Amino acid sequence: MTGDATGAAGPPGAGWKRLLRPDLFVLGLCAAYAALVGPFTPGFFTVRNAENLLVHALPLFVLASGQTVVMITGGIDLSMTSVLALSSIAGAWVMTPSGPLGGGPAAVPAALALMLLAGASVGILNGLAVARLRMPPFIATLTAMTFFSGLAVWLTQSRGIGPLPAGFNALGRLPGAVGIAAAAGAGAHLLLSRTILGRWLYAAGHNPRAALVSGVPVALAVALAYLFSGTLAGLASVLYTAQGGTGSPVLGQRLLLDVVAATVLGGTSLFGGRGRIPWTFLGVLFFKLIDNTLNLLDLSHFTIMMVKGGLILTAALLDTLRNRILESS
Amino acid sequence: MRIPDGFRSCALVAALLAAACDAPAGGPRPLTVGVSFEILQTEFWVAALEAFKEELGRRGLRMIQAIAEGDANRQIEQVQNFITRKVDGIILVPKDARACLPILRSANEAGIPIVLFNRPPAESDARSVAVVADNFALAKETVAFLVAEARRTGTRRKAMIVIGDLGDINAVGRRDGFEAAVREAPDAVEVVARVPSEWNQEKAQAGVVNAFQAHPDIGLIFTSSDFLLPSIVSALKSAGKYRRAGEPGHVLLGGFDGDATAYGMLSEGYLDATGVQDVDFEVRACVQAILDWREGKEPPATILDPGFVIHRGNLEEKAPRMWGARVRKP
Repeated sequence: MTGDATGAAGPPGAGWKRLLRPDLFVLGLCAAYAALVGPFTPGFFTVRNAENLLVHALPLFVLASGQTVVMITGGIDLSMTSVLALSSIAGAWVMTPSGPLGGGPAAVPAALALMLLAGASVGILNGLAVARLRMPPFIATLTAMTFFSGLAVWLTQSRGIGPLPAGFNALGRLPGAVGIAAAAGAGAHLLLSRTILGRWLYAAGHNPRAALVSGVPVALAVALAYLFSGTLAGLASVLYTAQGGTGSPVLGQRLLLDVVAATVLGGTSLFGGRGRIPWTFLGVLFFKLIDNTLNLLDLSHFTIMMVKGGLILTAALLDTLRNRILESS
Repeated sequence: MRIPDGFRSCALVAALLAAACDAPAGGPRPLTVGVSFEILQTEFWVAALEAFKEELGRRGLRMIQAIAEGDANRQIEQVQNFITRKVDGIILVPKDARACLPILRSANEAGIPIVLFNRPPAESDARSVAVVADNFALAKETVAFLVAEARRTGTRRKAMIVIGDLGDINAVGRRDGFEAAVREAPDAVEVVARVPSEWNQEKAQAGVVNAFQAHPDIGLIFTSSDFLLPSIVSALKSAGKYRRAGEPGHVLLGGFDGDATAYGMLSEGYLDATGVQDVDFEVRACVQAILDWREGKEPPATILDPGFVIHRGNLEEKAPRMWGARVRKP
């Protein structure tokens, strides 16, 4: 197992090859992109834009952190968007003035607990399906996504739930959002780099058969990865719902590609065994940087979509090239 | 204590952003209006975006645009970007009546006039102007025309409505307009199917096919948007019921929006009527509201587009005002 795989620092490359490490590579991409595009982007170099960029990158970072943990095991969690919606309407239902705890002091804490519980419940179902029933992660989580997205729409008849308490909505802005996302990111990072479970997760993703022979409880580790991912999706739903001020049954319906793209851009392998939370943060940052600048530039929607796709493809190609150089050396 | 490399990298990024924040933000700029659409899923939205481009250009204003791809949170982020760019006005097609409230408040705080196109916001203390079609009245008038046609043929019709996404207040208004019209005509119409589409063509088609299996004698269909017409046509063809007005077995068909497909079907006699949203009126009213607001006038919170019902009898007269007639496909 390499240093990358365990999350610990591996043997440092010599000279310029250090720059090809995933974190420095994506950091370099961010800096180069900002330096090249920033001066031509109106309003890019302003405090307000930095805040906007950060606030809207944080929920995606929380989601991508959960996705990173699952991808390290060699799996994928496609159900995240349905967790966003389910948690959103569950929490909003509790908190809204016409809800069971509406207006009461316990409304927000109860809603937060319910939102995390909803995410954890979907997560553990995914985990059991993948680890115990040995369903392919793609199918298990795709099925969950379909079912729980439909459930959210059915429960609400497609209607948003609101208004939500101001105290809850404040969680989606600075500094609350930073605190929540930092806690989630630090928790995920410590889990992967400082605990025995973290080592099991890398081992399960790197070579599950070898891990099993070595005494790693692979099924348990994989199930816990999905539980963790579901819980973080519930937490991301808190941020997204607070930012929108409404419980939405279609929350995040189109975010799946963003989550996977940002995670993979950060250097996490789709095949398992490699990935780290700080890398993911940088992947999310690069992804949102592209979004932000293209939106600030005076481009048409269709141009933005094409340019965004082209930039992500270029980044992925550079990443492949980087890996080849590292492997050949 | 050793600091992990990843966190050092993150700290570097933070420092880079912080340093960048002090840079100056640019010089004089022309009057700019940010136009944020929830999605460009249908011809209606594409036509409206083009109409904004034309109208703003005609008045010497600059337009910047953002499309949220159906994501309310992305739309919040994009409008924040408009505010960062210090636009002089914002025109918004919100994803959701409630989820747009943080956007309205941000615009209010920044002192930027904000006008909602085609979808009103939920009730709140935030100031905005909404230019909307009178969905209820226009849908009711359209369905009343179909009911009159049913009476004229002398047969009591079984009816179906294809409902939009009930999270969209426009869909609710159109459904309610349909219900109000059929409630007044129990002698001519009996509603046997209410098909939810969530503004999705595949769901609409599946629902219409199922409804025809359950009630093969459905004789009147109202769709809450013309962009669902291809799904209905496909289902009618499968059931062998796609016939022109005047032909035996013709199913009375009505729609809403006035898109290019509807214009084509009206011209060919397959569609009986559609409620047309007057896009030109709505676009002009939005831009005028922004300018009035900037000049310190107080435009009304809601500006209603009465729209009009177009049918074969008035097609020639009304077609020049039908946006779908202008973007008709070759």
